Amino acid sequence: MQKIMIIEDDSAIREELVLLLKNEGYCPFPVVDFTDIPKQAKQLCPDLILLDIGLPGQDGFSLCADLRRSGAFPVIFVTSRDSNLDEVRALSLGGDDYITKPYNVPVLLARIKAVLRRGGGALEAPDVLESQGLRLNLTKGIVSAGTNSVLLTRNELQILACLMEHGGGIVSRENLIEMLWSSRIYIDDNTLSVNVTRLRGKLAELGLPDLIKTRRGMGYQL
Amino acid sequence: MTFGEFLSNRLGRVFIQLIFAAVAAFFLVATGTQAGIILLLFLVFLLVFAATQLSDFFRQKSRLHELEAIMERLDQKYLFTECVPMPKELYERKIFDLVRRAGRSMIGTVSDAQTAQREYREYVEGWVHEIKTPITAAGLICRNTEDDIRRKLTRELGQIEAYVERTLFYARAESPEKDFIIRQTVLSELAAQAIDHHRALLMQSGIRVEMEELEQEVFTDSKWVIFILGQLLQNAIRYRGENPVVSFSAKKFGKQIHLTVSDNGIGIPEYELPRVFDRGFTGSNGRSRGGSTGMGLYLCKKLADCLEIGIRITAKEGRGTAVTLCFYHA
Repeated sequence: MQKIMIIEDDSAIREELVLLLKNEGYCPFPVVDFTDIPKQAKQLCPDLILLDIGLPGQDGFSLCADLRRSGAFPVIFVTSRDSNLDEVRALSLGGDDYITKPYNVPVLLARIKAVLRRGGGALEAPDVLESQGLRLNLTKGIVSAGTNSVLLTRNELQILACLMEHGGGIVSRENLIEMLWSSRIYIDDNTLSVNVTRLRGKLAELGLPDLIKTRRGMGYQL
Repeated sequence: MTFGEFLSNRLGRVFIQLIFAAVAAFFLVATGTQAGIILLLFLVFLLVFAATQLSDFFRQKSRLHELEAIMERLDQKYLFTECVPMPKELYERKIFDLVRRAGRSMIGTVSDAQTAQREYREYVEGWVHEIKTPITAAGLICRNTEDDIRRKLTRELGQIEAYVERTLFYARAESPEKDFIIRQTVLSELAAQAIDHHRALLMQSGIRVEMEELEQEVFTDSKWVIFILGQLLQNAIRYRGENPVVSFSAKKFGKQIHLTVSDNGIGIPEYELPRVFDRGFTGSNGRSRGGSTGMGLYLCKKLADCLEIGIRITAKEGRGTAVTLCFYHA
């Protein structure tokens, strides 16, 4: 499991981040003692550090420089200061990314994933999803069952991937839309229906016409 | 100052001198001085008088010229009296002293006002940064609640965030020290980030977002432009109609790239269009829908002016509104 060190002085945010990262399958280490953080980092050897710039009693920028000196840990700045000057300063000090508060959760997770992937050693996100006899190749955008395969559009691909990732559970329309927006597909309710209908059509070509079930008032289910 | 102006200003003095000369001549005639001598004296007197007047004129002219040049070079004109050499003449010096005292008091007032404004801006920025911590915490906490409540709370938090952001940019736009960095950015990235910031509001108002041909590069400050686009999105949400759609599209016109944000909302009456960028102008839409402060488009215009981006608006009542930003392309 990848270790993420959380340096954040607001206890509410810290606790929630721990919960969030745990749920996402990371191993979070919140820092509660803000003295000599570089030493703590050296002992822990995290895969990533989430660093709040506005720490009590010290400057996050100089802390980052110290962290850099004690080891090559990727650092994501998380800050409520969003002036251009701060951003340039943070990145010139060797921060790998810069996120401003208030961040939305999907964006934060995506940035964490991206930095971890860049740092190497990260588990690549699975390229192929499999469920109920269906194989979905995410990079090629091809879904196949047995020997037949069909090409999917970007929207259809994301919808199917989301349903498959939920492994047979019900996904509400709202959640599906939220998930698509996170992938920068700005879809509305009607367009979602159209896309699901098209997707069903394509699955029917593979001989699986009723794979996606509509659960009235609840959402879709594989 | 011309010689004519100078002379007419000294007309009184010339007149008195002439009277004096006439009285002297009369006195000399009465005491039996020869007419030739009187004439000679009169000529000498005239010559000396004319010479002093001329030298006065040229001295004053060159001094005025020098002062004008100093004024011309000054960036802050009100610092003039601080940069001018002291006059030599006693009376002039006294007057100058008075003017300088008045100037100093003005400088003090101006610098106090500037300090107050800077401090206020710093306070607002600090406050905005502080408030963002609890907003972030609230956003993370409501993730653990039931879907329906989470969605509603996320929308409200999004609204709070939008108001807070507007305060921050108001403080920035009104302050003379501008904090922006011009970098190369892609329009699609700017649009995507503006949409990300308003996703909760957009999703729940059921707006469809379309993006066309935005893979064009411009030189600008991304934060400010994202804020401007955000304001346009908020307007599209607030003044939406049936089956709302908001679309981003870009077109190249010679050296310019036009980014248009258009919606199919309720539009703006034509007679109100010239005033929509005015501070505090809410118009009939603002009155009928409520919640309008008349600040959104005003700030857009202000920020766009700072960044030297052109901003134009077209609208049809009941059909929709389109705002175009004109960038000089990379």
